[in-house]
Amino acid sequence: MKFKKRALVSMLMIAFMLVLTACSGGSSEKGSSKEGSKESSDKKITIFQSKVEISEQLEKLAKEYTKETGVEVEIWGTTGDDYLQQLQIKLNSKQGPSIFSLQHVKEAEKLNSYVYDMSNEEYVKNIAPNMELKYDDKIVGVPYGVEGFGLVYNKDLVKPEDLKDYQSFKSTLEKLKADGINPFGLSQEAYFLIGHISNYPFALQKDHFDFIDQLSEGKVTMADTKEFQEFGKFFEAIKANAANPLDVNYDKEIGDFASGKTAMIHQGNWAYGMLKDYDLGFEIGMLPFPLNGNDKLSVGVGNNWAINGTKDKEEVKNANDFLKWMLNSDLGKKYIVEEFGFVPAMTNIDPGELDPLSQAVFEASNSGNTIPWAQNYYPANVVTNDFTPVAQEFFISKDMTGQELIEKLDAAWQNAVK
Amino acid sequence: MTKRKNWGWYALFTAPLVIIFSVVVIIPFLIGIYYSFFDWDGIAANPMVFVGLENFAKLFDDERFLNSAWLTIKFTVLAVISVNIVGLGFALLVTSNLRTANTARTMVFMPYLIGGLMLGYIWQFVFSDVFTLIGEITGLDSIFLNWLLDPNYSLYALVVVFTWQMAGYIMIIYIAGIQAIPGELLEASKIDGANNWQKLRKIIFPLLMPSFTISLFLTLSSAFKIYDTNLSLTGGGPANSTEMFAMNIYNEIFGYSNYGLGQAKAIVFFLIVAVIALTQVYLTKKREVEM
Repeated sequence: MKFKKRALVSMLMIAFMLVLTACSGGSSEKGSSKEGSKESSDKKITIFQSKVEISEQLEKLAKEYTKETGVEVEIWGTTGDDYLQQLQIKLNSKQGPSIFSLQHVKEAEKLNSYVYDMSNEEYVKNIAPNMELKYDDKIVGVPYGVEGFGLVYNKDLVKPEDLKDYQSFKSTLEKLKADGINPFGLSQEAYFLIGHISNYPFALQKDHFDFIDQLSEGKVTMADTKEFQEFGKFFEAIKANAANPLDVNYDKEIGDFASGKTAMIHQGNWAYGMLKDYDLGFEIGMLPFPLNGNDKLSVGVGNNWAINGTKDKEEVKNANDFLKWMLNSDLGKKYIVEEFGFVPAMTNIDPGELDPLSQAVFEASNSGNTIPWAQNYYPANVVTNDFTPVAQEFFISKDMTGQELIEKLDAAWQNAVK
Repeated sequence: MTKRKNWGWYALFTAPLVIIFSVVVIIPFLIGIYYSFFDWDGIAANPMVFVGLENFAKLFDDERFLNSAWLTIKFTVLAVISVNIVGLGFALLVTSNLRTANTARTMVFMPYLIGGLMLGYIWQFVFSDVFTLIGEITGLDSIFLNWLLDPNYSLYALVVVFTWQMAGYIMIIYIAGIQAIPGELLEASKIDGANNWQKLRKIIFPLLMPSFTISLFLTLSSAFKIYDTNLSLTGGGPANSTEMFAMNIYNEIFGYSNYGLGQAKAIVFFLIVAVIALTQVYLTKKREVEM
């Protein structure tokens, strides 16, 4: 009896001691670091960005910055496709990053209460005209760089004159298929499967803002619009001749192209980051997707750096300092161009030696020979939630026609805006 | 020892668990119920509009949700059957005089140690590369095709992977049950001239009822709640043909940013799982026999 009582008491004591020491341990650590090296422990920013391709390089840049200024920069990783969801979770739990990326104005609208107004910051003055991300007349994002996409092709296998319109596109696919080469590559990820490529029929409208508004209000349908009908035919040609994209992921798509098994892929200049790891035995180039005889590349800003304005003043200032440093210092500029492989959207950054894909984008963008990224005005998440299942269905079922594809996309759109 | 002192011991060991359980389960659950009455996009700074029961009413018009409910039921039925048959089969096998019993036990249990997410990715490779290869070599390409690309097969692919994962765990439960059966009973039946099937049917199964209760409950609830394997193996595709309950809820909340509606779905989901699981436990418990 007595022994048991004593045991109980001593157990409780031990438990208490553990709790107490755990607490005091924590606080004393905090205390000492504050007194000790104020510089490194207090000044810390976190960056959460959506571009998987540059995460390693960004981490290296962050280390350089820490070396130079003593401000610690932590990079959070992501796998890409569900970036916005992840960001939302982090923001809601009040553990949001100091710098995050925004794709477009629809996201800025959604996260309006978080984005910091950069209008008065020095670095925004260097943004190339019309390339800044604006919401409510405030500048809320600095572009990563301009990007463009189109048909990335193997110059040994395809000639530009083979891809002028639907007829030549189709016959080129058939010819290549007969030669035992996969003529065309898409891949299973939402944006590479349907996201980017669906941009063309929208972008080729006279006023794509107006068209999208009318589409959302139900005044027009894709099924009745000429560009979309032709888009459906293009997809039929792809289904009939190319490897099933649902069987192919991004890595395989790039790998097959690099090894000459695929003649062309629908990709952007960002793909060069992976292509340069291969020993390409041929020259590559980028061509416009010839929907309705289109002869322009789609060029736009894919991602913007935004600052979390709900953080305390010091952290916001640190975040601003980092962006300023990245966009103005020689090292930062060098990273943007050489390591990230961006085509800079800043007037103070010299693009330098560009890879062939970026060169094509840069030339198109300079000569104004571009069509816009209408996808930036799609309803939020429509590509992953609604378009992708439809595209999957199209590639799985043998008898689904292009017109049916468009009709289902119509229904998907209505589901997204309801 | 008085009751009071016992109470102290109980508190010492249960209080931490009760606190943790409330913080991570009960409180979020209550907050979730609260959210289900609002129209809200899930961004803390944006307004929440009270809509009462409207979210619940909306559920019945949501075709995608109803479809995912049907898929989940189909999946659960198939998964419960296959997991238990395979699990029980292995349990009977490794408790017999098999020479490799111990090795077999370990091998079968192993997949349970690998996370569902990992298993999904591993099997993705099996289905997309190994299966198509087998199909090419053997010419049986009507069976050995990439199941994940065919809406008619993708659900079965999920059942296969889930069985692979769970069967070992369920086997352990059955083994424990089988080993608890007194040897005299089986010996006596042998003397009485019972054959194997009679032994199984008249002695082992009735005495295994407690194991059945646990195993069915575990498989039923985890099949209903499946998310990780679903996400990594098929991602709900192709063309939404494997979008289960949990994934539908996730997509509603984070894909479409309808927190309220998604929460309403989650509440309904909870009720369904609770009702089904409790009914099952009640029914199988009734059949348990005392020795």
